Amino acid sequence: MAFLRAIFRHPSGRIGAAIVLAYLALAGLGALGLTPHDPLVQHRLDRLHPPSATYWLGTDLFGRDITSRLMQGIGQSFRVAFLSVAVAAGIGTVLGLAAAWFGRIWDGALMRAMDILLAFPAILLAMLIVAVMGPGTQTSVLAIAFVYMPIFTRVVRGPALSLKTRNFVDAARSFGSSTVYILTRHLLLNIVAPLTVQVTLALAWALLTEAGLSFLGLGTQPPAPSLGVMLSDSRNLMETAPWLMIAPGLTIMGGILGFNLLGDALRDILDPKTRGRA
Amino acid sequence: MTRHLNGLSSLALAALLVAPALAPAQAATLKMAWSQDATGLDPQKQTAFSSIRLLELIYEPLVRLDAKLNVVPAIAKSWEFSADGLSLTFHLDPKAAFSDGAPVTSADVKASFQRLLDEKTGAAARSNYTSIAAIDTPDAQTVVFRLSQPDVPILAALAGVNAAVLPAAAIADGSVGTKAIGSGPFMLASWDPNAREVLTANPHWAGGKTGVDEIDISVLPDETGILAALRAGQIDLALLNDPLVATLVPKEQGLTLVRTPSISYNVLQLNPARKPMTELKVRQAISCAIDRKAVLDTAALGEGQVTGPITVPAYATDPAKLFCYTPDLAKAKALMKDAGYPDGFSATVIAATGEPATAEAEAQVMQAELKQIGIKLDIKMMELNVYVDAWLKGDFDMAVALNGGRPDPYTMYNRYFTKTGNLLKVSNYTDDTLDSLLNEARVTTDPAKRKDLFAQFDTHLAEVSPWIWLFTPYTYVAERANVQGFVPTPTGSLYGLSAVTLK
Amino acid sequence: MNTLTRRLAAFPLVLLGVSSLVFMAIRLVPGDAITAMLGTEAGLLTPAQKQALAAYFGLDRPWIVQYGRWLWALLHGDLGISVTYGKPVLGVILARFPLTLELAVLSLLIALAIGVPAGVYAATRAEKGADLAVRVGAMIGQSTPSFVFGLLLIYLLSAGFGVLPAMGTFAPLWVDPLANLGQMILPALTLGAAFAASLTRIARSAMLDVLSEDYVRTARARGVPARQVIWRHALPNALIPVVTLSGIEFGYLLGGAVIVEQIYALPGLGRMVLDAILQRDYALVQGTVLFIAFNFMLVNLLVDLAYYGLDPRIRGRG
Repeated sequence: MAFLRAIFRHPSGRIGAAIVLAYLALAGLGALGLTPHDPLVQHRLDRLHPPSATYWLGTDLFGRDITSRLMQGIGQSFRVAFLSVAVAAGIGTVLGLAAAWFGRIWDGALMRAMDILLAFPAILLAMLIVAVMGPGTQTSVLAIAFVYMPIFTRVVRGPALSLKTRNFVDAARSFGSSTVYILTRHLLLNIVAPLTVQVTLALAWALLTEAGLSFLGLGTQPPAPSLGVMLSDSRNLMETAPWLMIAPGLTIMGGILGFNLLGDALRDILDPKTRGRA
Repeated sequence: MTRHLNGLSSLALAALLVAPALAPAQAATLKMAWSQDATGLDPQKQTAFSSIRLLELIYEPLVRLDAKLNVVPAIAKSWEFSADGLSLTFHLDPKAAFSDGAPVTSADVKASFQRLLDEKTGAAARSNYTSIAAIDTPDAQTVVFRLSQPDVPILAALAGVNAAVLPAAAIADGSVGTKAIGSGPFMLASWDPNAREVLTANPHWAGGKTGVDEIDISVLPDETGILAALRAGQIDLALLNDPLVATLVPKEQGLTLVRTPSISYNVLQLNPARKPMTELKVRQAISCAIDRKAVLDTAALGEGQVTGPITVPAYATDPAKLFCYTPDLAKAKALMKDAGYPDGFSATVIAATGEPATAEAEAQVMQAELKQIGIKLDIKMMELNVYVDAWLKGDFDMAVALNGGRPDPYTMYNRYFTKTGNLLKVSNYTDDTLDSLLNEARVTTDPAKRKDLFAQFDTHLAEVSPWIWLFTPYTYVAERANVQGFVPTPTGSLYGLSAVTLK
Repeated sequence: MNTLTRRLAAFPLVLLGVSSLVFMAIRLVPGDAITAMLGTEAGLLTPAQKQALAAYFGLDRPWIVQYGRWLWALLHGDLGISVTYGKPVLGVILARFPLTLELAVLSLLIALAIGVPAGVYAATRAEKGADLAVRVGAMIGQSTPSFVFGLLLIYLLSAGFGVLPAMGTFAPLWVDPLANLGQMILPALTLGAAFAASLTRIARSAMLDVLSEDYVRTARARGVPARQVIWRHALPNALIPVVTLSGIEFGYLLGGAVIVEQIYALPGLGRMVLDAILQRDYALVQGTVLFIAFNFMLVNLLVDLAYYGLDPRIRGRG
């Protein structure tokens, strides 16, 4: 509770949390089917209809209501983004800490393995995962997670390496603290700042990458909407029906703004050094 | 030389942007763009449309098709079938010459067809010419194909670049795929795959002087980029695929869009080997439930024409006369009930991403339509090659496809619907009627009788509905006002570029 | 330098790992060079024809034999022949690489020139108006997909002003520097904008961290001028995450920028490897990925060396 209060006391945290909550509410309504129209129903006579009283944000090539599709799309995109970043951050952080802490051969082996992954073309990776699992949400999640995981590993390893050498870790060690305790308590707490920023960056990136995957038919499968699919579908209609690009584009921007503001606030709140400053 | 820039001309950025346009302009260079490049230079082996249209400018077959799909002279200036239909004689144009200056002789023709028919070459088009039993060359200008059985469609099949005549010397030294020496209007000066190619006029071309001296083709992978380059005057002529982009061209001053009805067809292939598409009534119900016009209007902005199985105007049946081409939901529901699926079923439809540009949209419209009779379609979009792999194995319930058309319906459908068709494992459908109609049309020389046979074939095929034929798309050429004299063809050939001039 | 030699020794191992992974991955994805060339017409091939084409494309041997041969050739400096280009793979790659390198360098320069000062500035004005402005700016840069940014730019220039950097016909830097920069400036801006946005955020965050450190506070308390505290004391230590991110992003960019190359029709490494994957040009995919991996590791090695240079504490332990 104190934590939540802290977020709402923080100026950008307040705005960020409000945005993210609003998006979650919209996605919730979308999931419950409480949308102005059925997001999948094609209104044949109202194809490419500009925004109006009936269709607040207009309709797409098929005459489907953009407002309703956005509401469901937010849910789908958030699902992909959260899941993939959770997987990437989880595995990436553990590997990064392990590399920094155990050093030597472990560090070398882990980081070189990450190099292999990083050097691997993301598209080929995604195609491979599709070949094994078939297209769909899990595929997007895995493909995005695998691409981003090495970045988390590196981001965590850098500061961890530098923190490891500082006095307080040595001090803790000399007091006989266990390895796991030191790792979680001190290192993790101290890398929480770069990590949260990286998580918000990753969420933003995941939202956009999902669009890239759908270009190749590797992402969310039609007719289900996602923000990325809606955006990439709009590209050749940019001149004919600009609302098709504007609506999902601004929605993605808003979402990313929300993530980032919230992330910044979390960083301030969680970071022991800056705690109580803001 | 300096371009006017609405008052921006003083800005350094603008100067940088304009600089490339200041390169010395050659009056007779046609600047072209397309989004997909050729995949190789061997005219006998390449089958992708993106390769064919480039190779058709460099190589020539014995005969070619004109804008009305009539067979007209190319390397051969005349030809005749023997009375028994077992031999086909070509008289070569004595002026025909390869771009290295060597004349095209009957020896080149013979060597080319021997290469094409040799299984070691790996030319997929070989299957169209298997009735050629022997090739005689009584003199340098005469070639006689001895056929194992009468084969009327072979003439139209010879009118394609897959049957191009190559220099016997190039065949002997194995340089066919690398040097690109042909007898067509242009020669390949340079090729940077997926980026750019330059063609120059072939001084030895039998057709005389080409309208332009050079064609400079850029591969611009994004079609909106092509439109932008047209607007900025960087290119004179471009090929477009996506109706969403092509329909923007006419709105632009100084740009013209040349639309040509194609003979290829968009189709929903059902897989009659998979339940419940095994049931005639289920397939017919699908046919009755799908509003072809709506698919065309929504997915392709109405850019195309609803079509039956046969797309060549000379043989096509009026679609309105075909089975259930007027959508009939009540009939569809009744058929589903009769077939034992009153509540419908679930199936997966595969489609290739961007191939054609309208595939995903077509799938979504049909998904909504089939939902009305209880069929729940799952759409699976696939990268083209993954799709082709599944398609060739017949590993799908339904597939959205854009299949190529051929000037002769026999060549077009023999592969799918005769009992010896080599794509039978893809179509999974044939019956005695289809088989005998096609085989009879193959050996029938009387044009009126052939037309009748194909009309019966067309009607029967639409009725048994192994596939749901949707519409023929347009092929698009966008040109600036300075481009004159381009004649398109329904096969999408760019041979018309040989006559294009720049004002 | 012990670390350096150790890292260099690991190079061949990583490259071996990359090569075997790519080798397998590209073959596990359905479709091959035959279906890529023939599409659905591949179904017309007779078994003998299929066999002939498989032999032509080198697909007729078991994977392990193909891999062995490929490795053996690699040891002799031969990356194989690209079936699409009909040329040695290395030559094809080297022809495309200068563009990619130039684009990556330009983007990095743009990103550093905007990102670092903006991030530092925002950090010193934390939670004030200027900070918010910088953050919102970064957010917009970061949340605009490069294809949207690029398409809008191209559309505005071509429809609004009738100008456009030359598309398709690429002028190398050493042939025509002016034309080259004219072509590269928009793609570099497109890539640089998103890159700068991430750098701004990272720099701001790292700067905030460092500014709260004891030694910075001490310096301030001692009366060192604010400007000097920021640029001399704080910034060098805040640079580690900035360098990490720049290294990763730069390493990525050296692998080519598929979407931007696609939109601006630049014949770089990104489009080439995408086309190679789509055309199942196995030798070209393998060679290019290996090349990209090598560059990537080189950049990372430099980044790691930079850590040691930047943070004396790591150096002390190393």
